[in-house]
Amino acid sequence: MTFFFQLIVTGIAQGCIYALGALGFVLIYKASRVINFAHGELIAIGAFLTYAFTVWVGLPIWIGFVIALIIMFLLGQSIERVFLRPMIGEPIISVIMVTIALASLLSGLVYFTPFGTLTARFPSFLPTTPIRFAGIFLRWEHLLGIILTALFILILGWFFTRSTLGIAMRAVADDQLASLSVGVSIERVFALAWAAAATSATAAGFVVGSIFGLEFAGLVAIGLRVFPAVILGGLDSVVGAVVGGIMIGILEQLASGYLDGFVPGGGTGEVFPFVVLLIILLVKPYGLFGTKEIERV
Amino acid sequence: MSVNRWLQSGNYRRSYKEDQTIFATFSEEASLIVFVLLLFLVPFAPFMSRSLFRLFDLILIYTVAVMGLNIVTGYAGQISIGHAAFMGVGAYAAATITRDVATPLFGFESTVPFLFVLALLPVCGLIAALVGAFVGLPSFRLKHLYLAVATLAFQIIFTWSVGHTPWLNQGGSIRVPRLEFFGTTISGSKTIGPFYYFFTLVIVIIMAIGMRNLLRSKYGRALIAVRDNDRAADAMGINPGATKVMAFAISGFYAGVAGALLAFYNGSVIVESFTLAVSIDFLAMTIVGGLGTMVGSLIGPAFLLILDPWVEQLAEFIQQLMPATIDVGTALRPTVFGLIVVLFLIFEPRGLANWWRLTRQFAKRWPFKY
Repeated sequence: MTFFFQLIVTGIAQGCIYALGALGFVLIYKASRVINFAHGELIAIGAFLTYAFTVWVGLPIWIGFVIALIIMFLLGQSIERVFLRPMIGEPIISVIMVTIALASLLSGLVYFTPFGTLTARFPSFLPTTPIRFAGIFLRWEHLLGIILTALFILILGWFFTRSTLGIAMRAVADDQLASLSVGVSIERVFALAWAAAATSATAAGFVVGSIFGLEFAGLVAIGLRVFPAVILGGLDSVVGAVVGGIMIGILEQLASGYLDGFVPGGGTGEVFPFVVLLIILLVKPYGLFGTKEIERV
Repeated sequence: MSVNRWLQSGNYRRSYKEDQTIFATFSEEASLIVFVLLLFLVPFAPFMSRSLFRLFDLILIYTVAVMGLNIVTGYAGQISIGHAAFMGVGAYAAATITRDVATPLFGFESTVPFLFVLALLPVCGLIAALVGAFVGLPSFRLKHLYLAVATLAFQIIFTWSVGHTPWLNQGGSIRVPRLEFFGTTISGSKTIGPFYYFFTLVIVIIMAIGMRNLLRSKYGRALIAVRDNDRAADAMGINPGATKVMAFAISGFYAGVAGALLAFYNGSVIVESFTLAVSIDFLAMTIVGGLGTMVGSLIGPAFLLILDPWVEQLAEFIQQLMPATIDVGTALRPTVFGLIVVLFLIFEPRGLANWWRLTRQFAKRWPFKY
């Protein structure tokens, strides 16, 4: 039984990473109906920036992290300006392809830097002895992930319900034409969505980097794992992103805990979320919290 | 009024029947025939080298796959991010059927006869088509973006399962026997290059004829109707779900044939040829060529694959200027690839096919401007 609860707890912690990644993903989708295939690259770049400021420049890790957040905020905005702005009004396939091409471009650029082949760890900044509670272990890095996720949810919750810009963003998500006519600047909203997504991606990258270490392919892979989470939660629901992320994290841990023994080579945790994804798509296409599209001719 | 079908410059079609014809003028027909004949003469050209043959063969094989992707993405409007996986299904079908069924049954030794391969290609296509239809099943309830994610999930599940199945050598290389063409064994790069050039060229032509005729039939028009407005298509009596599943099945068929061809061409099957990156390459080829155009699926693969060796040369050049720790080869390829796709999407969303269309119109109206 302890094994089961251990898997659940690790799953929740793991799921918080996905939730953090999924948040940014959902923000972009909600505001501009764009599926961002370059999210994994954003996560990786965010983590690498933190590393660069901490190890190469020699700043304390928290300051390095904050600087990385700021740079990624600007990077997110510029990506929207350069790549996504010309795509407004184009068919979905073009928009999706732009983000795929962007992913390719970003990863190419990363390979031009020493980060392409880097395998490293952040200098340790948390206690190395895990937290112990009733026989269940939890690493400090995992706790950091849970805290950062909670923090981002709180900030976003405040932002969407209290600030003018956040309410404008919800208006754009609801009806672009109507919000244009009452004077909301769609361009600003889209740019902000990308900036916020890049920021939360950085936070996700920071957590992933401190748990699993920094390695380009591994960080990018998180961007793919976000898909089952957002589909389970519903593509356009912030709550759904969090719940979906945590559920996928738990499912992944349970799968690798109980199924790995039956599969040669193991690693069921990698693929199980995607099997769940296919089943959800067949049974409950708009996810747990997603808006069901009602269509009229 | 009789129309001069050699030198007409406008659209003189007066009935639906005429509108469905493939060629508007005899000159179009003649130029196509000349072009195809020229393609058949290419292997006899003095400049053909081993690497050039390999390049051309790959272009032709990928063309078959990209035609399939263009049917589902360009014409039916459903984004498929799992096309390489369908191709993989075809390739693994070819490898396993040859290894586990045909070899014990017909007692093949180190080679398989040409006719067997010829019969095997459509079988592999059909298996991939079945898988394609299965993956397309969510389209009864889902649309565009969600469906794209479903194909992505299939791609990931495919690579993972192949990598974990001992029967498929866990994604490692599975040997596929060489071909025997009526007594001659096709092995060694001297014969493989030209042989597969002709073989795939004929298959490309057959598949292209099939695609062109599909598109002017009732089913092809249904695909376009579903892409442009599936609710309106529904109102006209087209079943959008069934049409999308059909599109997935047809695209799976094309991918399966291409996969089987690749398996026999390489003489082995390895999971690295069917990863997500390859799927994305296919999407890029379709977009660069031109979505929803027949010519696009022929030009796109050629353009991107011919670019590849040039990028390599450029990478070698840049490598001299950069520190040795950075591998410019792995860096430059995705960068250039991403840039090309972005530039095409922003500046020429209709792809190379549009340039082709403009050139053709210019030739048709010459010496007049319009």
